[in-house]
Amino acid sequence: MCASSQSDDVQLLRADPDSSEEEHFRIMLVQTEIERVKFVIRSYTRTRLYKIEKYARYIVSTPELHEKLSKAELDHAQRYARLVEYHFNQTVLQSLPSEQRSLDDNAHFMPSMVTQPDKLRPVFVHARQACPPVRLPDGSALTMPKGQISLTPYYVVEQLLLRNEVELV
Amino acid sequence: MALPTPLRASVTPAELELIASEQLVEIVPLVAMERTAFISGAYGPLRPPTKCKVPIWMATNLKLKKKCRVVPPDWLNVEFLEGRLTQETSEAGFSEMPFRFAEVAKVLLDVAPDDFPNPDKIRSLLKDIREARQAKSREGLSKLDHSELSLPNLCSMEINEIRPFFIRAMGVLTDLVKEAQPQQDAP
Repeated sequence: MCASSQSDDVQLLRADPDSSEEEHFRIMLVQTEIERVKFVIRSYTRTRLYKIEKYARYIVSTPELHEKLSKAELDHAQRYARLVEYHFNQTVLQSLPSEQRSLDDNAHFMPSMVTQPDKLRPVFVHARQACPPVRLPDGSALTMPKGQISLTPYYVVEQLLLRNEVELV
Repeated sequence: MALPTPLRASVTPAELELIASEQLVEIVPLVAMERTAFISGAYGPLRPPTKCKVPIWMATNLKLKKKCRVVPPDWLNVEFLEGRLTQETSEAGFSEMPFRFAEVAKVLLDVAPDDFPNPDKIRSLLKDIREARQAKSREGLSKLDHSELSLPNLCSMEINEIRPFFIRAMGVLTDLVKEAQPQQDAP
């Protein structure tokens, strides 16, 4: 929103024949920054879209996640999940014995058909402040002083991350 | 497809450079400009020959139009880097460097080599430091287990470099531990 209103201002100023060379120069810098911001926003939106499509069904069936998505994103997730389900049904599932037709069934030794976030996946974290101890998978405790960088499974630092005490790097 | 495959696993060096370009650097402007409000904050006024702090992206832009000189950051000179290189080769741990030193050094040396005394020496020192640190990251792999690896003073570009391999390796170790546990309980 900010970027687009700035863009309009820039167009107005550009069109103004009275603007001096110094103004032109400032306009150019402003325009450069707008391009940078646009790039960041575009990357952010694309990454979210990728995650939404990857975890569409999981997102639709997990109400706690809904408030983190915009309305357009949630609509997209729902439509996308429906499409995928329809496709799976049409191509494979409807030809299987009825007890194996569901997408949600938990067959042993088989990965789930609904992609879920892998909280065991290791992440690099940077402690923004001294953190209270957290429990590691091997049973020991990890206390991160400010500035510490660690590689550890996501679920270990999930709470610290939600409290903004650490950041992912 | 929302995101091309190469962008999924990790950020790219070019994106890290974009992030690092938000950091401030001192310049000596050669052109005057009033204080101007930008999205990331207000910068200026530029009054030659008074030094001024602006984001690196702005410094790059001005420098390419020959409208400023870049003042090298206090860590980007031969003496400082020689000191760090000695530390790096004599001590086991990583020495302390600015978190985004690799990106900042690359951008500044690319656009403003004439503002640094001895840019080639700086480049070769940076390369030596990078190689010494890379060797240490590789050694760090032997300490990897399924629960935690602490990496003090590791920098953003280095993290990004080891990320795919280390994450995969730790994932495999996690799987091994997961599979080993039920067997311990069984008998």
